[in-house]
Amino acid sequence: MSRNVSSGLKTRMAAAVVALSLMAMPAGAQGTHLLVLQGLSGEPQYRAQFDAAVRQVREAARTKWNVADSNVVLLSETANPATKALPATKENIGNAFVGLSRRVRAGDVVLVLLLGHGSGEGPASKVNMPGVDPTAADFNSWLSGLSRQTVVFVNAATGSGDFVDVLKGPGRVIVTATKSAMERNESVFSTHFAAGLSGDAGDGDKDGRVSVLEAFRYATREVAKVYTSSKRLQTEHAQVSDSLLAARVAFGGAASSSDPRIATLVAERQALEADVAALRGKKASMAADAYDRELERLLLAIAEKTQAIRAAGGKQ
Amino acid sequence: MKRTVKRIQNTRRLASIVAASVLLAACSERVPAQSTARPGPQNAVLAEDILTAEAALRRGDRATAMRTAARIVETFGGLQNPTSGDHVTVGRAHAILGLGDASSVRRALASFDAAAAADPNNIEADLRAGTLFLDKYNAPEARTSFQTVLTKSPGNARALLGMARVEDFEGKGDALATARKAVAADPKLTDAIVMVARMHLEAEQYDSALTHARRALATDSTSVPAWAVLGATAWVTGDSATFQRARAAATVQQPKPAEFLTELAEAAVRQRRYADAVRFAGQAVELDSQSVRALGVLGTNQLRIGKMAEGQRALDQAFKLDAFNLWHMNTLELLDDMKSFRTIERGRFQLVAPAEEAELLALYILPLMEQAYDSLAVRYAYKPPAPVRLEFFRDHADFSVRTVGLTGLGALGVSFGSLLAMDTPSARERGDFNWGSTAWHELTHAFTLGASDNRVPRWLSEGMSVLEERRAGRGWGADASIEFVGALGAGKLRPMSQLNDGFLRPRFPQETEFSYYQASLFCEMVEAQKGAAALPAMLVAYKKGLDTPGVFKQTLGMTPEQVDAAFEQFMRGRFAKPLLAVTARDSVATGPFVTAMKEGVAMLERSQRDSARAAFERARTLFPNYSGDDGPAWFLARIDRDAGNIGAAIRNVAEVTARSETAWEANMLEADLREKNGDDAGAIAALERLIWIHPYDPALHARMATLATKVNNHALAVRERRAAIAVKPPDLLDARYELARALASAGDVPGARRELLGVLEEAPSFEKAQGLLLQLRAPRKPPVQKP
Repeated sequence: MSRNVSSGLKTRMAAAVVALSLMAMPAGAQGTHLLVLQGLSGEPQYRAQFDAAVRQVREAARTKWNVADSNVVLLSETANPATKALPATKENIGNAFVGLSRRVRAGDVVLVLLLGHGSGEGPASKVNMPGVDPTAADFNSWLSGLSRQTVVFVNAATGSGDFVDVLKGPGRVIVTATKSAMERNESVFSTHFAAGLSGDAGDGDKDGRVSVLEAFRYATREVAKVYTSSKRLQTEHAQVSDSLLAARVAFGGAASSSDPRIATLVAERQALEADVAALRGKKASMAADAYDRELERLLLAIAEKTQAIRAAGGKQ
Repeated sequence: MKRTVKRIQNTRRLASIVAASVLLAACSERVPAQSTARPGPQNAVLAEDILTAEAALRRGDRATAMRTAARIVETFGGLQNPTSGDHVTVGRAHAILGLGDASSVRRALASFDAAAAADPNNIEADLRAGTLFLDKYNAPEARTSFQTVLTKSPGNARALLGMARVEDFEGKGDALATARKAVAADPKLTDAIVMVARMHLEAEQYDSALTHARRALATDSTSVPAWAVLGATAWVTGDSATFQRARAAATVQQPKPAEFLTELAEAAVRQRRYADAVRFAGQAVELDSQSVRALGVLGTNQLRIGKMAEGQRALDQAFKLDAFNLWHMNTLELLDDMKSFRTIERGRFQLVAPAEEAELLALYILPLMEQAYDSLAVRYAYKPPAPVRLEFFRDHADFSVRTVGLTGLGALGVSFGSLLAMDTPSARERGDFNWGSTAWHELTHAFTLGASDNRVPRWLSEGMSVLEERRAGRGWGADASIEFVGALGAGKLRPMSQLNDGFLRPRFPQETEFSYYQASLFCEMVEAQKGAAALPAMLVAYKKGLDTPGVFKQTLGMTPEQVDAAFEQFMRGRFAKPLLAVTARDSVATGPFVTAMKEGVAMLERSQRDSARAAFERARTLFPNYSGDDGPAWFLARIDRDAGNIGAAIRNVAEVTARSETAWEANMLEADLREKNGDDAGAIAALERLIWIHPYDPALHARMATLATKVNNHALAVRERRAAIAVKPPDLLDARYELARALASAGDVPGARRELLGVLEEAPSFEKAQGLLLQLRAPRKPPVQKP
């Protein structure tokens, strides 16, 4: 029996198109902006926890996501000349959002990371900041200036759960450390979300980019482990508002290239990856040996494409 | 059983703590005391009938007992003006009807209350209520009832007997002394004499047990419990003639001698002869399928020998008949939980553990157990039946229930022969215990029990287990603590010949812990003075039926008094220096050693390192074999580390890790220092010791794997990479990739490829894994040449 090569190719290319549309939207392809708001810590241990999270995310933004320093704004518990951080007062936060709305372009990705201790409920939910505490409603107002951007708003503070209902909307992914305003005990979510977003471990599919959903899943898994291993009842349950968008927004190196040769290789590799996904869908109905053989063939082909991309000077 | 953890006090029977809440709830539902009761003579027919019913019950004729009891209840209902005595009688009838019927138990208690309300001087009501409470495991209420009697009638023998039973049940006070008071108050109170006999039997004081059992029979030759204790003692000591006579006599009184057989089964349990216990209890159940006690002993011990389904059936049946029994309820609930456990069978072992931990634990414990099995089989010329089942419990309460049916057991592990049970390392705080030495300890019991046909006394079995721990691993097994030396100096330790009481009846919280160490030192002394064959020879002598004095005489050529003297001398010699340096006063340690340590710490806090070093050096000279991980060597190690004297720091910290099996920080420091010093093998050894303390840190496994690869120990690297996966690391795919690399380095290319395919199936874009897959791709077949 002869094999219809052309129709097979067409099928694969079609699959690749579908796959591309579902794949992560690499934040590096657009402009990426980072606004970090570090609230009052209260105790040295929390200060250290918040500082570490900020450090990790800033470092990743600079070294892995290629975010320009000019696109990073840090407001902190106190002014910090070393990091050029201003105090995170309500006024400074509002100004930061205004400045951001003037700098961003349509399609840019804005990551807002909020650390601290929360209070209040519903639209009046707050995070303790120097001076007057801004509410969820205030943040909603400030975010209205970013309607043409994709906004990832992460409130990693305790008692942050009600921010989701207040802030969620089109083009926004809202992540909170807790499921409600009532979960106000000490939270470890910020530590693990920052680690997931900035480290390799959070990259669940090992494609070199960390989506918001991957970081969220990483964090929720690790938070659960903390409570299980210490035999404590879990008192924080993180939530994410839009998991589809969260899966598409990713931070990290993009596989794009202006070199048409590399672009072709990347597209071919994506087609092969789509084939793997399709094969996995058929696993239950296939003989194990046949499945393994086909899987290995596809994976070797993918590996060879990667090798070829590298040889041609492309990134991953 | 592995020694108790020092922070947890030994608790023998905690039934009352838990039972009280359940029973009090039950009692609150009981029928209120009736106001129509009055003092006066009791109904003669009822009085006659209750004696008939209880006699039938003693004979094992449960049907007649129940029928008669039901008739009493009916007759009582027709009485116009029941007396206080009538209420007691109907209460006794309700108690008989209480089998499988909790409402009858409540009615019985209400009847006794009514009797007491009608005639506050009727102490029989309180005595019966106390007995019923204790039968239903409510020791606090039982104590109150008996105390009420003793207030009204000081020296009442039956109340004293009740108090003795309460004390025995709770493991508090001196039950034997109280029972003796009961006998003194009424020398003809057979049940009290039987209790004294039984307690001697439990303490393995067989001569005293026989004497008291015979004395009990002299007061009442129809006492089945007395014949049962006599028979059980005879069976334990191998006196078949007395055993047969006791059985025949018990059978005269109880044609189907279920009670006799159950007593025998319980004696077998105390001897750790679980298979015999199952046999006897099984026979008892065949004779009386309604005996909760027999069903309980049967089920509990079936579970101890690994007959899980049969044990569960027996306990189910027992629980249907007596819903008050917390031991059975707890065990049945645990068995339900254990259905989610994972079983891994490899070689001669079967590991049963929570599914989340089974793979990790199996990686380490199964090879260790195989090694232990081989080593111990040679030493003791005995092989326990395989597979040996090793159960792990992540919740200490579950382990405790598995062992004794209740929570609160202060032990780490237990051996029932070919079934071992213990805490997982995650059940306790890091540094609380060493799970490797604990497993080795428990497995040793399987050998010493088996080699002696389960006749080795507890103290010697524990001593051998601790000694084997010390042989097996660096730092494993108890060593000298400051408290132990203090107790030795203060004369608080028992002589060798009485050491069993140190386990069975500790007089102060740490005595059990000290007894383990003391017993192990005795074993060391025997080996040192009589040779390596002496300890196995002692087991064989016990197997032949010799008692401890006989064993001493045959294997050591000494009387118990001579053994005591020799051991005292051995101890005084071994701890000569520490005894001069440590004094215990009111449980507080003082003396030159403590002074030197305090000085060293104070100087260190003032950064006077040289002076501190001198103080710690002095302390070390005063107590060279100090075993804690907070001793002079630990401080000296850190002083040397801070001063950059790496070699000296290593020598000092190695002193700590050689004497403490739970020294997490010291082993970590040793690993760091050795690795820094280029001693990779030494660092690996320290990391290995850390794993036996707490195996859950992915970074620890990754570090060990890296070092293992560096020294070309690829098998070890593979094990560690597998462990890193088993602890569910944050980056599972990367951990699997590392395993593939280790497998490839170890020459297992097919295994590495399988692992990689699994990784890339999940994450096709994983570039590192892609690269390795290309490296490991199957060699392409050469093209076939056409002819």
